[in-house]
Amino acid sequence: MNITFMQLLSGMVVSVEIFLLTLLFALPLGLLVAFGRMSKNKILQTLVKVYIAIMRGTPLMLQLIVVYFAPFYIFGLKISQGYRFVAVIIAFSINYAAYFAEIYRAGIESIPIGQYEAAEVLGYSKRQTFFRIIFPQVIKRILPPVTNETITLVKDTSLAFVIAVAEMFTIAKQISAKQASVNALMVAGLFYFVFNYAVAYIMEFFEKKLSYYR
Amino acid sequence: MEDNNLLRIEHIKKNFGDTGVLSDISLSVNEGEVVSIIGPSGSGKSTLLRCATLLTQMDDGNLYYGDMCAAKSVNGKSVYAGKDELKKIRQYFGLVFQNFNLFPHYSVLKNIIDAPVNVLGRSKEESEKKAAELLKMLGLAEKGDAYPCELSGGQQQRVAIARALALEPKILFFDEPTSALDPELTGEVLAVIRKLAANHMTMVIVTHEMQFAKEVSDRILFIENGVVVEEGTPDKLFSSDNPRVREFIGRMAN
Ligand SMILES: Nc1ncnc2c1ncn2[C@@H]1O[C@H](COP(=O)(O)OP(=O)(O)O)[C@@H](O)[C@H]1O
Ligand SMILES: [Mg+2]
Repeated sequence: MNITFMQLLSGMVVSVEIFLLTLLFALPLGLLVAFGRMSKNKILQTLVKVYIAIMRGTPLMLQLIVVYFAPFYIFGLKISQGYRFVAVIIAFSINYAAYFAEIYRAGIESIPIGQYEAAEVLGYSKRQTFFRIIFPQVIKRILPPVTNETITLVKDTSLAFVIAVAEMFTIAKQISAKQASVNALMVAGLFYFVFNYAVAYIMEFFEKKLSYYR
Repeated sequence: MEDNNLLRIEHIKKNFGDTGVLSDISLSVNEGEVVSIIGPSGSGKSTLLRCATLLTQMDDGNLYYGDMCAAKSVNGKSVYAGKDELKKIRQYFGLVFQNFNLFPHYSVLKNIIDAPVNVLGRSKEESEKKAAELLKMLGLAEKGDAYPCELSGGQQQRVAIARALALEPKILFFDEPTSALDPELTGEVLAVIRKLAANHMTMVIVTHEMQFAKEVSDRILFIENGVVVEEGTPDKLFSSDNPRVREFIGRMAN
Protein backbone atom coordinates (compact mmCIF):
# COMPACT_ATOMS: atom_id res chain seq x y z
CA MET A 1 0.00 0.00 0.00
CA ASN A 2 2.76 2.39 0.95
CA ILE A 3 4.72 1.51 -2.14
CA THR A 4 1.63 2.12 -4.27
CA PHE A 5 1.20 5.49 -2.69
CA MET A 6 4.84 6.41 -3.32
CA GLN A 7 4.46 5.34 -6.94
CA LEU A 8 1.41 7.52 -7.39
CA LEU A 9 3.23 10.40 -5.74
CA SER A 10 6.18 10.09 -8.10
CA GLY A 11 3.72 10.02 -11.00
CA MET A 12 2.19 13.25 -9.73
CA VAL A 13 5.60 14.88 -9.56
CA VAL A 14 6.35 13.92 -13.17
CA SER A 15 2.97 15.27 -14.32
CA VAL A 16 3.59 18.56 -12.54
CA GLU A 17 7.09 18.72 -14.06
CA ILE A 18 5.72 18.20 -17.55
CA PHE A 19 3.15 20.90 -16.90
CA LEU A 20 5.58 23.50 -15.53
CA LEU A 21 8.35 22.87 -18.06
CA THR A 22 5.87 23.05 -20.94
CA LEU A 23 4.61 26.44 -19.74
CA LEU A 24 8.16 27.63 -19.14
CA PHE A 25 9.16 26.90 -22.75
CA ALA A 26 5.87 27.28 -24.62
CA LEU A 27 4.86 30.71 -23.32
CA PRO A 28 7.98 32.58 -24.56
CA LEU A 29 8.29 30.36 -27.64
CA GLY A 30 4.66 31.15 -28.49
CA LEU A 31 5.45 34.87 -28.47
CA LEU A 32 8.32 34.31 -30.91
CA VAL A 33 6.04 32.19 -33.11
CA ALA A 34 3.42 34.95 -32.99
CA PHE A 35 6.04 37.46 -34.20
CA GLY A 36 6.91 35.09 -37.03
CA ARG A 37 3.24 34.69 -37.88
CA MET A 38 2.79 38.48 -38.04
CA SER A 39 6.12 39.07 -39.79
CA LYS A 40 6.23 41.13 -42.97
CA ASN A 41 8.60 38.52 -44.36
CA LYS A 42 6.27 36.35 -46.46
CA ILE A 43 8.51 33.29 -46.37
CA LEU A 44 8.82 33.30 -42.59
CA GLN A 45 5.12 34.02 -42.25
CA THR A 46 4.20 31.07 -44.50
CA LEU A 47 6.57 28.68 -42.70
CA VAL A 48 5.09 29.64 -39.37
CA LYS A 49 1.55 29.27 -40.73
CA VAL A 50 2.33 25.74 -41.89
CA TYR A 51 3.90 24.89 -38.53
CA ILE A 52 0.85 26.17 -36.65
CA ALA A 53 -1.50 24.30 -38.99
CA ILE A 54 0.36 21.02 -38.39
CA MET A 55 0.52 21.48 -34.64
CA ARG A 56 -3.18 22.27 -34.40
CA GLY A 57 -4.30 19.89 -37.14
CA THR A 58 -2.77 16.62 -35.91
CA PRO A 59 -3.21 14.80 -32.59
CA LEU A 60 -0.76 15.67 -29.85
CA MET A 61 -0.42 11.96 -29.20
CA LEU A 62 0.89 11.44 -32.73
CA GLN A 63 3.27 14.38 -32.33
CA LEU A 64 4.63 12.81 -29.15
CA ILE A 65 5.34 9.57 -30.98
CA VAL A 66 6.97 11.38 -33.89
CA VAL A 67 9.23 13.45 -31.62
CA TYR A 68 10.13 10.36 -29.63
CA PHE A 69 11.08 8.21 -32.61
CA ALA A 70 12.49 10.98 -34.82
CA PRO A 71 16.11 10.63 -33.62
CA PHE A 72 16.02 6.95 -34.57
CA TYR A 73 14.19 7.17 -37.91
CA ILE A 74 15.75 10.39 -39.15
CA PHE A 75 19.26 10.20 -37.71
CA GLY A 76 19.58 6.50 -36.94
CA LEU A 77 20.39 7.31 -33.32
CA LYS A 78 19.72 4.90 -30.51
CA ILE A 79 16.97 6.25 -28.28
CA SER A 80 18.12 6.43 -24.69
CA GLN A 81 15.85 5.90 -21.72
CA GLY A 82 16.31 9.51 -20.52
CA TYR A 83 15.10 10.85 -23.87
CA ARG A 84 11.51 9.83 -23.12
CA PHE A 85 10.97 12.72 -20.76
CA VAL A 86 12.87 15.16 -23.00
CA ALA A 87 10.73 14.09 -25.96
CA VAL A 88 7.59 14.82 -23.97
CA ILE A 89 8.81 18.31 -23.09
CA ILE A 90 9.83 19.04 -26.69
CA ALA A 91 6.55 17.77 -28.14
CA PHE A 92 4.39 19.56 -25.59
CA SER A 93 6.35 22.81 -25.89
CA ILE A 94 6.20 23.06 -29.66
CA ASN A 95 2.55 22.01 -29.67
CA TYR A 96 1.47 24.47 -27.00
CA ALA A 97 3.64 27.24 -28.45
CA ALA A 98 1.48 27.04 -31.59
CA TYR A 99 -1.73 27.48 -29.60
CA PHE A 100 -0.24 30.23 -27.44
CA ALA A 101 1.05 31.98 -30.58
CA GLU A 102 -2.46 32.30 -31.96
CA ILE A 103 -3.66 33.63 -28.61
CA TYR A 104 -0.84 36.18 -28.50
CA ARG A 105 -1.56 37.20 -32.07
CA ALA A 106 -5.25 37.76 -31.43
CA GLY A 107 -4.32 39.74 -28.33
CA ILE A 108 -1.76 41.90 -30.09
CA GLU A 109 -4.08 42.56 -33.01
CA SER A 110 -6.87 43.60 -30.65
CA ILE A 111 -4.89 46.57 -29.30
CA PRO A 112 -6.15 49.77 -30.97
CA ILE A 113 -3.81 51.36 -33.51
CA GLY A 114 -4.12 54.61 -31.55
CA GLN A 115 -1.94 53.13 -28.79
CA TYR A 116 0.89 52.65 -31.27
CA GLU A 117 0.40 56.11 -32.74
CA ALA A 118 0.35 57.82 -29.35
CA ALA A 119 3.57 56.03 -28.40
CA GLU A 120 5.19 56.92 -31.73
CA VAL A 121 4.42 60.62 -31.38
CA LEU A 122 5.72 60.57 -27.78
CA GLY A 123 9.02 59.25 -29.13
CA TYR A 124 8.95 55.66 -27.87
CA SER A 125 11.10 53.25 -29.85
CA LYS A 126 9.44 50.20 -31.44
CA ARG A 127 10.80 48.01 -28.64
CA GLN A 128 9.63 50.37 -25.90
CA THR A 129 6.22 50.64 -27.53
CA PHE A 130 5.82 46.89 -27.52
CA PHE A 131 7.13 46.11 -24.06
CA ARG A 132 5.90 49.19 -22.17
CA ILE A 133 2.59 49.92 -23.89
CA ILE A 134 1.29 47.01 -25.95
CA PHE A 135 2.38 43.80 -24.21
CA PRO A 136 1.06 44.64 -20.72
CA GLN A 137 -2.36 45.26 -22.25
CA VAL A 138 -2.10 42.06 -24.29
CA ILE A 139 -1.48 40.01 -21.14
CA LYS A 140 -4.67 41.28 -19.57
CA ARG A 141 -6.68 40.47 -22.67
CA ILE A 142 -5.30 36.97 -23.22
CA LEU A 143 -5.56 35.68 -19.65
CA PRO A 144 -8.95 33.96 -20.17
CA PRO A 145 -7.90 31.99 -23.29
CA VAL A 146 -4.51 31.22 -21.72
CA THR A 147 -6.34 29.83 -18.69
CA ASN A 148 -8.34 27.55 -20.99
CA GLU A 149 -5.20 26.27 -22.68
CA THR A 150 -3.47 25.78 -19.35
CA ILE A 151 -6.33 23.68 -18.04
CA THR A 152 -6.24 21.60 -21.20
CA LEU A 153 -2.51 21.18 -20.67
CA VAL A 154 -3.06 19.71 -17.19
CA LYS A 155 -5.22 17.00 -18.71
CA ASP A 156 -2.98 16.58 -21.77
CA THR A 157 0.00 15.68 -19.59
CA SER A 158 -1.63 12.24 -19.32
CA LEU A 159 -0.90 11.71 -23.05
CA ALA A 160 2.74 11.15 -22.11
CA PHE A 161 1.72 7.61 -21.27
CA VAL A 162 1.87 6.85 -25.00
CA ILE A 163 5.67 6.82 -24.87
CA ALA A 164 5.66 5.22 -21.42
CA VAL A 165 6.74 8.18 -19.37
CA ALA A 166 5.95 7.39 -15.75
CA GLU A 167 3.58 10.26 -15.11
CA MET A 168 0.40 10.12 -13.07
CA PHE A 169 -1.88 8.42 -15.58
CA THR A 170 0.66 5.84 -16.72
CA ILE A 171 1.32 4.74 -13.17
CA ALA A 172 -2.31 4.77 -12.13
CA LYS A 173 -3.14 2.54 -15.07
CA GLN A 174 -0.37 0.09 -14.19
CA ILE A 175 -1.43 -0.09 -10.54
CA SER A 176 -5.04 -0.45 -11.40
CA ALA A 177 -4.27 -3.37 -13.77
CA LYS A 178 -2.20 -5.08 -11.12
CA GLN A 179 -4.78 -4.61 -8.37
CA ALA A 180 -7.71 -5.29 -10.66
CA SER A 181 -9.34 -2.20 -9.12
CA VAL A 182 -10.15 1.29 -10.29
CA ASN A 183 -9.00 2.91 -7.05
CA ALA A 184 -5.71 4.16 -8.45
CA LEU A 185 -7.47 5.63 -11.46
CA MET A 186 -9.90 7.37 -9.14
CA VAL A 187 -6.97 8.87 -7.28
CA ALA A 188 -5.53 10.02 -10.62
CA GLY A 189 -8.85 11.61 -11.55
CA LEU A 190 -8.97 13.43 -8.24
CA PHE A 191 -5.40 14.59 -8.75
CA TYR A 192 -6.18 16.16 -12.17
CA PHE A 193 -9.27 17.78 -10.75
CA VAL A 194 -7.47 19.35 -7.79
CA PHE A 195 -4.57 20.38 -10.02
CA ASN A 196 -6.94 22.18 -12.37
CA TYR A 197 -8.76 23.76 -9.49
CA ALA A 198 -5.44 25.22 -8.31
CA VAL A 199 -4.61 26.42 -11.83
CA ALA A 200 -7.97 28.14 -12.19
CA TYR A 201 -7.52 29.72 -8.76
CA ILE A 202 -4.09 31.11 -9.62
CA MET A 203 -5.24 32.43 -13.00
CA GLU A 204 -8.21 34.10 -11.35
CA PHE A 205 -5.80 35.75 -8.95
CA PHE A 206 -3.86 37.22 -11.91
CA GLU A 207 -7.07 38.34 -13.60
CA LYS A 208 -8.13 40.12 -10.42
CA LYS A 209 -4.72 41.71 -10.10
CA LEU A 210 -5.09 43.15 -13.61
CA SER A 211 -8.67 44.29 -13.17
CA TYR A 212 -7.60 47.73 -11.92
CA TYR A 213 -8.13 49.11 -15.41
CA ARG A 214 -10.36 48.57 -18.38
CA MET B 1 11.95 91.40 -34.56
CA GLU B 2 12.15 88.56 -37.03
CA ASP B 3 9.42 85.96 -36.70
CA ASN B 4 10.78 82.66 -35.54
CA ASN B 5 9.49 80.01 -37.93
CA LEU B 6 8.72 76.67 -36.29
CA LEU B 7 6.96 74.69 -38.99
CA ARG B 8 6.98 74.82 -42.75
CA ILE B 9 4.90 72.45 -44.83
CA GLU B 10 5.34 73.03 -48.55
CA HIS B 11 3.24 71.61 -51.38
CA ILE B 12 2.17 68.42 -49.64
CA LYS B 13 0.63 65.77 -51.83
CA LYS B 14 -0.89 62.60 -50.48
CA ASN B 15 -2.93 59.89 -52.18
CA PHE B 16 -4.43 56.76 -50.71
CA GLY B 17 -4.40 54.42 -53.68
CA ASP B 18 -6.21 56.23 -56.48
CA THR B 19 -7.90 58.81 -54.28
CA GLY B 20 -6.04 62.06 -53.90
CA VAL B 21 -6.50 63.34 -50.36
CA LEU B 22 -4.09 66.30 -50.22
CA SER B 23 -3.42 68.03 -53.52
CA ASP B 24 -1.04 70.91 -52.81
CA ILE B 25 -1.16 72.25 -49.30
CA SER B 26 1.34 74.58 -47.71
CA LEU B 27 1.33 75.85 -44.16
CA SER B 28 3.85 77.89 -42.25
CA VAL B 29 3.59 78.48 -38.50
CA ASN B 30 5.62 80.97 -36.48
CA GLU B 31 6.44 80.82 -32.81
CA GLY B 32 3.48 81.77 -30.61
CA GLU B 33 0.95 81.49 -33.42
CA VAL B 34 -2.34 79.65 -33.10
CA VAL B 35 -3.57 78.30 -36.43
CA SER B 36 -6.93 76.60 -36.79
CA ILE B 37 -7.85 74.28 -39.62
CA ILE B 38 -11.51 73.97 -40.51
CA GLY B 39 -13.33 72.20 -43.32
CA PRO B 40 -15.87 69.50 -44.04
CA SER B 41 -15.46 65.86 -43.01
CA GLY B 42 -13.17 63.95 -45.32
CA SER B 43 -11.47 67.07 -46.63
CA GLY B 44 -8.05 65.84 -45.47
CA LYS B 45 -7.54 67.70 -42.18
CA SER B 46 -6.47 64.65 -40.21
CA THR B 47 -4.27 63.46 -43.04
CA LEU B 48 -2.53 66.84 -43.03
CA LEU B 49 -1.85 66.59 -39.29
CA ARG B 50 -0.73 62.99 -39.65
CA CYS B 51 1.73 63.97 -42.36
CA ALA B 52 3.01 66.83 -40.23
CA THR B 53 3.45 64.55 -37.20
CA LEU B 54 5.17 61.80 -39.23
CA LEU B 55 2.42 59.24 -38.62
CA THR B 56 1.79 59.11 -42.35
CA GLN B 57 4.34 59.57 -45.12
CA MET B 58 3.39 62.16 -47.68
CA ASP B 59 3.96 61.40 -51.37
CA ASP B 60 5.45 64.74 -52.30
CA GLY B 61 6.34 67.97 -50.56
CA ASN B 62 8.75 69.45 -48.02
CA LEU B 63 8.47 69.38 -44.25
CA TYR B 64 10.67 71.51 -42.01
CA TYR B 65 10.70 71.98 -38.25
CA GLY B 66 12.81 75.01 -37.38
CA ASP B 67 16.02 74.43 -39.30
CA MET B 68 15.56 70.66 -39.34
CA CYS B 69 14.38 69.01 -42.54
CA ALA B 70 12.06 66.06 -42.00
CA ALA B 71 11.31 65.52 -45.69
CA LYS B 72 12.29 67.12 -48.93
CA SER B 73 10.87 66.77 -52.41
CA VAL B 74 13.30 65.15 -54.83
CA ASN B 75 12.06 64.54 -58.38
CA GLY B 76 8.44 64.81 -57.29
CA LYS B 77 8.80 62.46 -54.32
CA SER B 78 9.28 63.21 -50.64
CA VAL B 79 12.55 61.84 -49.32
CA TYR B 80 12.59 61.53 -45.54
CA ALA B 81 15.49 62.22 -43.20
CA GLY B 82 17.27 59.36 -41.43
CA LYS B 83 15.96 57.59 -38.37
CA ASP B 84 18.03 59.55 -35.86
CA GLU B 85 17.12 62.89 -37.36
CA LEU B 86 13.41 61.98 -37.36
CA LYS B 87 13.70 60.92 -33.74
CA LYS B 88 15.07 64.35 -32.89
CA ILE B 89 12.32 66.02 -34.93
CA ARG B 90 9.63 64.07 -33.05
CA GLN B 91 10.66 65.89 -29.87
CA TYR B 92 9.83 69.17 -31.56
CA PHE B 93 6.07 68.61 -31.63
CA GLY B 94 3.23 66.99 -29.71
CA LEU B 95 -0.13 65.68 -30.89
CA VAL B 96 -3.45 65.47 -29.08
CA PHE B 97 -5.79 62.90 -30.62
CA GLN B 98 -9.53 63.03 -31.04
CA ASN B 99 -9.99 59.92 -28.87
CA PHE B 100 -7.22 60.69 -26.37
CA ASN B 101 -5.27 57.43 -26.75
CA LEU B 102 -4.18 57.42 -23.14
CA PHE B 103 -2.39 54.30 -21.94
CA PRO B 104 -5.12 52.50 -19.94
CA HIS B 105 -2.74 50.39 -17.84
CA TYR B 106 -0.90 53.45 -16.53
CA SER B 107 -2.14 55.85 -13.89
CA VAL B 108 -2.60 59.49 -14.88
CA LEU B 109 0.77 60.39 -13.40
CA LYS B 110 2.51 57.49 -15.13
CA ASN B 111 0.91 58.43 -18.45
CA ILE B 112 2.50 61.84 -18.09
CA ILE B 113 5.97 60.93 -16.81
CA ASP B 114 6.63 57.68 -18.66
CA ALA B 115 7.88 59.30 -21.87
CA PRO B 116 9.96 62.04 -20.18
CA VAL B 117 11.66 59.38 -18.06
CA ASN B 118 12.04 56.61 -20.62
CA VAL B 119 12.34 58.55 -23.87
CA LEU B 120 14.16 61.71 -22.77
CA GLY B 121 15.97 60.11 -19.83
CA ARG B 122 14.81 62.71 -17.33
CA SER B 123 14.85 61.91 -13.63
CA LYS B 124 11.68 60.55 -12.05
CA GLU B 125 11.58 63.21 -9.33
CA GLU B 126 11.95 66.08 -11.77
CA SER B 127 9.32 64.58 -14.07
CA GLU B 128 6.88 64.03 -11.23
CA LYS B 129 7.30 67.59 -10.07
CA LYS B 130 6.66 68.86 -13.57
CA ALA B 131 3.66 66.55 -13.98
CA ALA B 132 2.16 67.82 -10.72
CA GLU B 133 2.45 71.39 -12.00
CA LEU B 134 0.81 70.45 -15.30
CA LEU B 135 -2.01 68.61 -13.56
CA LYS B 136 -2.61 71.62 -11.36
CA MET B 137 -2.66 73.96 -14.35
CA LEU B 138 -5.16 71.70 -16.13
CA GLY B 139 -7.42 71.39 -13.07
CA LEU B 140 -6.56 67.76 -12.37
CA ALA B 141 -4.44 68.18 -9.25
CA GLU B 142 -6.22 65.36 -7.40
CA LYS B 143 -6.21 62.88 -10.26
CA GLY B 144 -2.59 61.73 -10.45
CA ASP B 145 -3.32 58.30 -9.02
CA ALA B 146 -6.51 57.70 -10.99
CA TYR B 147 -6.62 55.45 -14.03
CA PRO B 148 -7.94 56.74 -17.37
CA CYS B 149 -11.03 54.51 -17.15
CA GLU B 150 -12.02 56.33 -13.96
CA LEU B 151 -12.09 59.73 -15.66
CA SER B 152 -14.65 61.55 -17.78
CA GLY B 153 -13.84 62.16 -21.44
CA GLY B 154 -13.02 65.78 -20.73
CA GLN B 155 -10.64 64.81 -17.96
CA GLN B 156 -9.02 62.17 -20.16
CA GLN B 157 -8.44 64.70 -22.90
CA ARG B 158 -6.87 67.11 -20.41
CA VAL B 159 -4.55 64.31 -19.26
CA ALA B 160 -3.64 63.70 -22.90
CA ILE B 161 -2.78 67.38 -23.22
CA ALA B 162 -0.66 67.19 -20.05
CA ARG B 163 1.09 64.11 -21.42
CA ALA B 164 1.98 65.97 -24.61
CA LEU B 165 3.09 69.10 -22.73
CA ALA B 166 5.34 67.11 -20.39
CA LEU B 167 7.75 66.61 -23.29
CA GLU B 168 7.91 70.40 -23.76
CA PRO B 169 7.07 70.46 -27.46
CA LYS B 170 7.65 73.68 -29.35
CA ILE B 171 4.45 73.14 -31.29
CA LEU B 172 1.31 71.25 -30.34
CA PHE B 173 -1.17 69.76 -32.82
CA PHE B 174 -4.79 68.99 -31.95
CA ASP B 175 -6.98 66.78 -34.14
CA GLU B 176 -10.58 67.60 -33.24
CA PRO B 177 -9.82 67.47 -29.50
CA THR B 178 -13.46 67.84 -28.47
CA SER B 179 -15.25 65.78 -31.14
CA ALA B 180 -15.41 62.65 -28.98
CA LEU B 181 -16.83 64.55 -26.01
CA ASP B 182 -20.35 65.19 -24.81
CA PRO B 183 -21.24 68.86 -25.35
CA GLU B 184 -21.11 69.65 -21.63
CA LEU B 185 -17.50 68.42 -21.46
CA THR B 186 -16.31 70.33 -24.53
CA GLY B 187 -15.98 73.59 -22.64
CA GLU B 188 -13.42 72.36 -20.11
CA VAL B 189 -11.06 71.18 -22.84
CA LEU B 190 -11.48 74.35 -24.89
CA ALA B 191 -10.78 76.38 -21.74
CA VAL B 192 -7.47 74.56 -21.32
CA ILE B 193 -6.50 75.26 -24.94
CA ARG B 194 -7.41 78.92 -24.47
CA LYS B 195 -5.16 78.98 -21.42
CA LEU B 196 -2.31 77.56 -23.49
CA ALA B 197 -2.93 80.19 -26.17
CA ALA B 198 -2.75 82.90 -23.52
CA ASN B 199 0.63 81.43 -22.51
CA HIS B 200 1.77 81.78 -26.16
CA MET B 201 1.90 78.07 -26.88
CA THR B 202 2.29 77.49 -30.61
CA MET B 203 -0.64 75.39 -31.77
CA VAL B 204 -2.26 73.95 -34.88
CA ILE B 205 -5.84 72.97 -34.14
CA VAL B 206 -8.27 71.05 -36.31
CA THR B 207 -11.70 71.85 -34.95
CA HIS B 208 -15.40 72.09 -35.72
CA GLU B 209 -15.94 74.60 -32.89
CA MET B 210 -16.33 77.77 -34.97
CA GLN B 211 -16.75 80.25 -32.13
CA PHE B 212 -13.71 78.83 -30.38
CA ALA B 213 -11.61 78.94 -33.56
CA LYS B 214 -12.62 82.54 -34.13
CA GLU B 215 -11.60 83.59 -30.62
CA VAL B 216 -8.40 81.63 -30.18
CA SER B 217 -6.80 81.69 -33.63
CA ASP B 218 -4.37 84.10 -35.19
CA ARG B 219 -5.06 82.48 -38.51
CA ILE B 220 -7.61 80.05 -39.93
CA LEU B 221 -7.30 77.72 -42.92
CA PHE B 222 -10.41 76.45 -44.66
CA ILE B 223 -9.64 73.16 -46.38
CA GLU B 224 -11.83 71.35 -48.85
CA ASN B 225 -11.04 68.42 -51.16
CA GLY B 226 -7.40 68.50 -50.18
CA VAL B 227 -6.69 72.14 -51.01
CA VAL B 228 -6.65 75.33 -48.96
CA VAL B 229 -9.71 77.21 -50.20
CA GLU B 230 -9.16 80.25 -48.03
CA GLU B 231 -6.66 81.34 -45.42
CA GLY B 232 -6.47 84.40 -43.21
CA THR B 233 -7.38 86.05 -39.94
CA PRO B 234 -10.57 84.92 -38.23
CA ASP B 235 -12.22 88.20 -39.26
CA LYS B 236 -11.33 87.60 -42.88
CA LEU B 237 -12.62 84.02 -42.85
CA PHE B 238 -15.81 84.84 -40.99
CA SER B 239 -16.66 87.62 -43.43
CA SER B 240 -15.53 85.69 -46.48
CA ASP B 241 -17.04 86.30 -49.92
CA ASN B 242 -16.46 82.70 -50.91
CA PRO B 243 -19.87 80.98 -50.86
CA ARG B 244 -18.36 77.60 -49.85
CA VAL B 245 -16.67 79.15 -46.80
CA ARG B 246 -19.80 81.12 -45.86
CA GLU B 247 -22.01 78.11 -46.23
CA PHE B 248 -19.71 75.87 -44.14
CA ILE B 249 -19.26 78.38 -41.34
CA GLY B 250 -22.96 79.11 -41.27
CA ARG B 251 -23.80 75.43 -41.10
CA MET B 252 -21.26 74.70 -38.35
CA ALA B 253 -22.30 77.69 -36.27
CA ASN B 254 -25.70 76.10 -35.73
N1 LIG C 1 -5.42 55.16 -44.22
C1 LIG C 1 -6.29 55.55 -45.18
N2 LIG C 1 -6.50 54.76 -46.25
C2 LIG C 1 -7.35 55.14 -47.23
N3 LIG C 1 -8.03 56.28 -47.23
C3 LIG C 1 -7.88 57.12 -46.20
C4 LIG C 1 -7.00 56.80 -45.12
N4 LIG C 1 -7.03 57.83 -44.24
C5 LIG C 1 -7.89 58.73 -44.74
N5 LIG C 1 -8.39 58.32 -45.93
C6 LIG C 1 -9.34 59.07 -46.76
O1 LIG C 1 -8.81 60.36 -46.94
C7 LIG C 1 -9.84 61.32 -46.94
C8 LIG C 1 -9.52 62.41 -45.93
O2 LIG C 1 -9.58 61.86 -44.64
P1 LIG C 1 -9.24 62.72 -43.34
O3 LIG C 1 -7.89 63.32 -43.51
O4 LIG C 1 -9.45 61.83 -42.19
O5 LIG C 1 -10.34 63.85 -43.40
P2 LIG C 1 -10.87 64.80 -42.26
O6 LIG C 1 -9.96 64.66 -41.06
O7 LIG C 1 -10.83 66.16 -42.85
O8 LIG C 1 -12.27 64.39 -41.96
C9 LIG C 1 -11.14 60.60 -46.65
O9 LIG C 1 -11.82 60.41 -47.85
C10 LIG C 1 -10.67 59.29 -46.08
O10 LIG C 1 -11.58 58.28 -46.40
MG1 LIG D 1 -10.37 64.03 -39.09
